[in-house]
Amino acid sequence: MTVASARKHLRLYFKLQLMQLRSTVEYAADFWIGIVGAILMQTTGLVFISALFSQIPQVAGWSVWNIVLLYGLAMVPKGLTELFCDGPWTLRAKVNSGEFDRVLVRPISPALQSASAIVSIHGFGQVMLYLGLSRSDAAIAWWTIPYLAVIILCGAVLIGALNFAINLTGFWEPSAQSALPTMLALMIDFAKFPLDIYNGIIRTAVTEVIPYAFISYFPALVLLDRDSDWQWLGWCTPLATAWTVFATSWLWGKALNRYQGVGH
Amino acid sequence: MASQVRAEPRPKYLSIAQTAFQQAITYRVTTLTNIVLTFIWVFILYFLWKAAFNESAMIQGFTWDDMRTYVVIAFGLNALIGWRISANMMLTIRTGDILRDLTRPLNYCLNQVSVATGAAMVEGILSLGLTMVVGLVFIGIQPPATPLAAVLFLVAVLIGFLTNALIVFSISLLTFWTLNGVGIAWSREAVINILSGTIIPLAMMPGWLRIIADVSPMRGIVSTPLMIYLGKAEGSEALALLALSAAWLVAMWLFANWAWQAAFNRVEIQGG
Repeated sequence: MTVASARKHLRLYFKLQLMQLRSTVEYAADFWIGIVGAILMQTTGLVFISALFSQIPQVAGWSVWNIVLLYGLAMVPKGLTELFCDGPWTLRAKVNSGEFDRVLVRPISPALQSASAIVSIHGFGQVMLYLGLSRSDAAIAWWTIPYLAVIILCGAVLIGALNFAINLTGFWEPSAQSALPTMLALMIDFAKFPLDIYNGIIRTAVTEVIPYAFISYFPALVLLDRDSDWQWLGWCTPLATAWTVFATSWLWGKALNRYQGVGH
Repeated sequence: MASQVRAEPRPKYLSIAQTAFQQAITYRVTTLTNIVLTFIWVFILYFLWKAAFNESAMIQGFTWDDMRTYVVIAFGLNALIGWRISANMMLTIRTGDILRDLTRPLNYCLNQVSVATGAAMVEGILSLGLTMVVGLVFIGIQPPATPLAAVLFLVAVLIGFLTNALIVFSISLLTFWTLNGVGIAWSREAVINILSGTIIPLAMMPGWLRIIADVSPMRGIVSTPLMIYLGKAEGSEALALLALSAAWLVAMWLFANWAWQAAFNRVEIQGG
């Protein structure tokens, strides 16, 4: 891709995103109800954590603020994705109704058209990340801030790519609704708690199958400088992201070739 | 003139429930994946509590055996009213399908509760069944404390289910004012998950939350049945809890019907 075409795509993306913003603001009350709902959903997890840790000081050697840090690490990139790349969630409906035809005939990359959407804006994750980091007695080094920036950026790209990947199931499974993508997306909740507590199956699922652990758990090992054999994996987040993006784009090509329309 | 022999019509609300039952069977794959979805948090809670009970053998009167039984059954009970049931209640309003229901000589609230009951017969049996199988085989949950506890548990589950259906019905009426059903559903789910005791038993809540949860109608959905099941509430205490649940059920029924009248008076059909 040349620089010129990259710039063109970027400009188009922001145009599309602006359109999304306009249509969102059209129904202001609805938008705010969505945000309240999203915040309350996150509160559930927090109520649980505060109740759990009022009974015991730590779980598997992790204090309450360590867990808050994990939560923040998982939620900040998730929030960014909700803001910039939640469009894939409409793919299934488009494929099912044949509306995807319209996406294909436009002279813009179908992936670009499918990326933009604005679901929610909230700074919940940022607050938790800050609290978790400052109260965890984490040693702040010169590289902490750049490291965090890279991790969060990679995390957002990784979740964005996964948004695409899990919703491509709609190309193979023609039903109008499916809980499968929701389930795969919800598995990020596993990564909001230390992986040490789970059994092998769940650990494998969130590291090798859907690599959510690279967003929160492994980076947290680095940030907290925990004594763990897996700490080095915290430096592999960019690799995991690159691999996910690569796998998703391969899958995307397969999906597009498979699409047959519904006979309009 | 040939006399026509007509089959005796079934009681009306029963036949509504039966139709919903058949629909739920048709969409059984969706029903099943919805259930698997709730298992994510069952696993998270299971493993977290397991780690927690490694540090101390007894937490607020709960042993590890009690706790894993609680976690598994709590999610099974909460899943009795699945995402689809509540989404359908909202959708009838959004799409204008409500007109069809309005022309029938039926109590709309009871109509919707019947639909929920019919669907829950499938989702409920599947989810409770699956929960029990996973619970007994993999997690080793405990049986009810006594045979009497088992009977009272079932009564409490029924009352809790109807209360939950009425809460979901009342809240879906908000769709008359806003089109964002998802945001409302998220909020409702979050509040019910906390106050019913699904996420954490009432006994372990921080003081201020405990005060609210103790008297709220939501405790009848999960906490009350489970306290009876585990034998933590016996005799007069169990009866008092059941009485509270029953009182809330009556109150919710009156409220739901009043709210329905209020909402109906400002009804604005979406392009019907």
